[in-house]
Amino acid sequence: MDFKLTPEEELHRKEYFAFCKELEKKRPASFVGMEAVFEVDECWEFHLHCAKEFAKKGWLALSWPAEYGGSGTMMDKVLFAEARGYHGIPGVDIFGIQMLAPTILQAASDEIKREFLPPIARGEVMWCELWSEPNAGSDLATLSTTAIKKGDEYIINGQKTWNTAAHRADWGFGVFKTDPAGRKHHNITFLLMDMKTPGITVRPIPYIDGDAPFAEVYFDDVHVPAKNIVGQENEGWAVVNLLAGFERSGMGEIMGMYRELEELVEFCNKTKRNGKPLSQDPLVRNRVAELACDLEAAKAIAYRIADLQNRNEMALMDAAAAKVFYSELGERFAFVATDIAGPYGQVKASRWAPVRGEWEKKFQECFVTIISMGTNEIQRNIIAWYGLGLPRMK
Amino acid sequence: MDLRFTEAQDILRKMARDFLTTECPKTLVRELEKSDKGYSPELWKKMAELGWMGLVIPESHEGMGYSFQDLTVLLEEAGRNILPGPLIPTVVSSFSILEAGTDEQKKEFLPKIASGNLILTLALLEAEGSFEPSGVSLKATPKGDDFILHGTKLFVEMANIADYMVCVTRTKEGTDKKGITLFLVDAKSSGIQCEVIPTIASDKLCEVRFEDVAVPKKNMLGKLDEGWPTVEMMLRKGAIAKSAESVGAMQTCIEMTVAYSKERVQYERPIGAFQALQHLMANMWISMQTGRYLVYQAASMESEGQPADKEASLAKAYINEVYKDVAQWAIRLHGGIATSYDHDIPLYYRRSKAADTAFGGTDYHRELVAQRIGLS
Repeated sequence: MDFKLTPEEELHRKEYFAFCKELEKKRPASFVGMEAVFEVDECWEFHLHCAKEFAKKGWLALSWPAEYGGSGTMMDKVLFAEARGYHGIPGVDIFGIQMLAPTILQAASDEIKREFLPPIARGEVMWCELWSEPNAGSDLATLSTTAIKKGDEYIINGQKTWNTAAHRADWGFGVFKTDPAGRKHHNITFLLMDMKTPGITVRPIPYIDGDAPFAEVYFDDVHVPAKNIVGQENEGWAVVNLLAGFERSGMGEIMGMYRELEELVEFCNKTKRNGKPLSQDPLVRNRVAELACDLEAAKAIAYRIADLQNRNEMALMDAAAAKVFYSELGERFAFVATDIAGPYGQVKASRWAPVRGEWEKKFQECFVTIISMGTNEIQRNIIAWYGLGLPRMK
Repeated sequence: MDLRFTEAQDILRKMARDFLTTECPKTLVRELEKSDKGYSPELWKKMAELGWMGLVIPESHEGMGYSFQDLTVLLEEAGRNILPGPLIPTVVSSFSILEAGTDEQKKEFLPKIASGNLILTLALLEAEGSFEPSGVSLKATPKGDDFILHGTKLFVEMANIADYMVCVTRTKEGTDKKGITLFLVDAKSSGIQCEVIPTIASDKLCEVRFEDVAVPKKNMLGKLDEGWPTVEMMLRKGAIAKSAESVGAMQTCIEMTVAYSKERVQYERPIGAFQALQHLMANMWISMQTGRYLVYQAASMESEGQPADKEASLAKAYINEVYKDVAQWAIRLHGGIATSYDHDIPLYYRRSKAADTAFGGTDYHRELVAQRIGLS
């Protein structure tokens, strides 16, 4: 067992970190929390700028086959995520690059690959996910937005919700009911659409903190070319499951917390309370050290997932465990950091806020990771059912 | 990066699992808890034939020459099955000879350890129960060709049957780490009295009184006054070793709980079909699996000769807490049946407390972590 990187990987990692460190210098002051990309205009602009910069390096297509502009390995992709996470740099479209591209590569026709992959690799087209509906969340397969085939088009009617980035994205991918009378899990189709198609209405939804990272999307006789399909008609559920299995070590989030831990340590070292630095308070030391232990555990299992996926092995159970663990660690981190900051823990980004207001933001933003990409309760089901072999809920 | 086990490790694990299943059933574990010795000399002899005590001792000293990571693979199996006896104290103490011993000491002790003919343990703690140098006050005073040891050690594992002890002594007044000296002490030396302390895991932690015990100068391990780094090394390796054992124990707790929940029927269905219980079992697995790779990471560093100063403490502080948590959930999910003395789960639960204190508790290791992440 060897946790070391190869000299080549080490070299790549250095390059990713150096590049992201430079980009960090240009990051707008309003960039607080990673959802800022979708919430603040200048942060979205910064995201697009970073995407272009990464595209020039070929880093948006890491681990893709060379014929679609790809280079590098799955491990490179993870190391690149480390660098972006640590330096708090956007530029990699989670929907287009993390979710859709690997799905297209495995499940779509050559025409779809040729049409959609190059613009993603060039950082030109940003995507959103059209998944949840008001009455279909965890039990997504009960969704009711329809896409009825008519000639060489699907006509879409209904509503999606909690669509992160929908108010920013150029294109959307989603699942729609194509056979309303059909069997559950065999009546859904995975489609791609231009978000500017007539009949689509996007309304941003304010999140807990009042900012809007996501939106609801209404479909009113939206015409989508029938060729914009991934997988087979009525077999979109298989594509959903495929997509759920891609790289999800959470390394970006974890490295983000590494940086936050360093900032917390620095804050404790230089902030005095009752005549001495917080860092000399044994309770503070104990709580911060506990976070450090949890964080290292998250990182260790993330490497385990990266290692499995780098060899094209399944990591379903470990990925579920990692997602639960690092997302709930994010919440604990926010609780502890805002506690230690005392009255300053509640301050939003302003001159009174410690560490740019990141901790107050995290206190609210933490639910994004806990609830999205399959709630942690669904992840626990996955571990129980597929990992431990416990009886499945009917 | 390659986080797979080597073929040799897979073989070692399978061999250890098969061996312990046959040779160390829970009936023996219970018998040993009640025995005076706390280990089975017959089993120890068979383990020696497999080379376990000499696993990490180089072949030049008649050991197996395996890596530290290989050792943790073995200890994970020991923890999985529960293996009472002096394997961990002997192996962890042997590192002090490997790292600080003279050629003569290596020649004298290592082959005997490897062949199972010398049981070794670490005599570190005293009345304060501190893992810091300030907790060491047992005095060693030079006299002719000897040092005279006077004082009392506590929680010395398996001192009741050990042949030798690595005794941590104070050779200079004060509380500083400078002034700590290690000695290899024959447990049968005159002036040594040993008494077993009743503990939660009945694992034969002893009080050892040194009443002017003469130890030949040639048995000094490492340099005079400069023994503390060797103690830190043993605590570090011991913390990883104990954590590996705990990972194995958690694995059993989870397997037993999951199996029971599939069999036990209430409300006309197996209790494992209830989501309330499924999620608790998922949590147990998450705790174990996140801890597992933390331990593997620290073990891998030590194997490469890179001291896992921070990583060992990160792992031990984490594992201490999750092992207790997993074991208590194992009892709760079994319900009343696992509160019975005769059930196997309580054997693990009681050991989760013993494992937690060995080689440093949670707060001790968190403080080390605090220092190593830069809290001033």
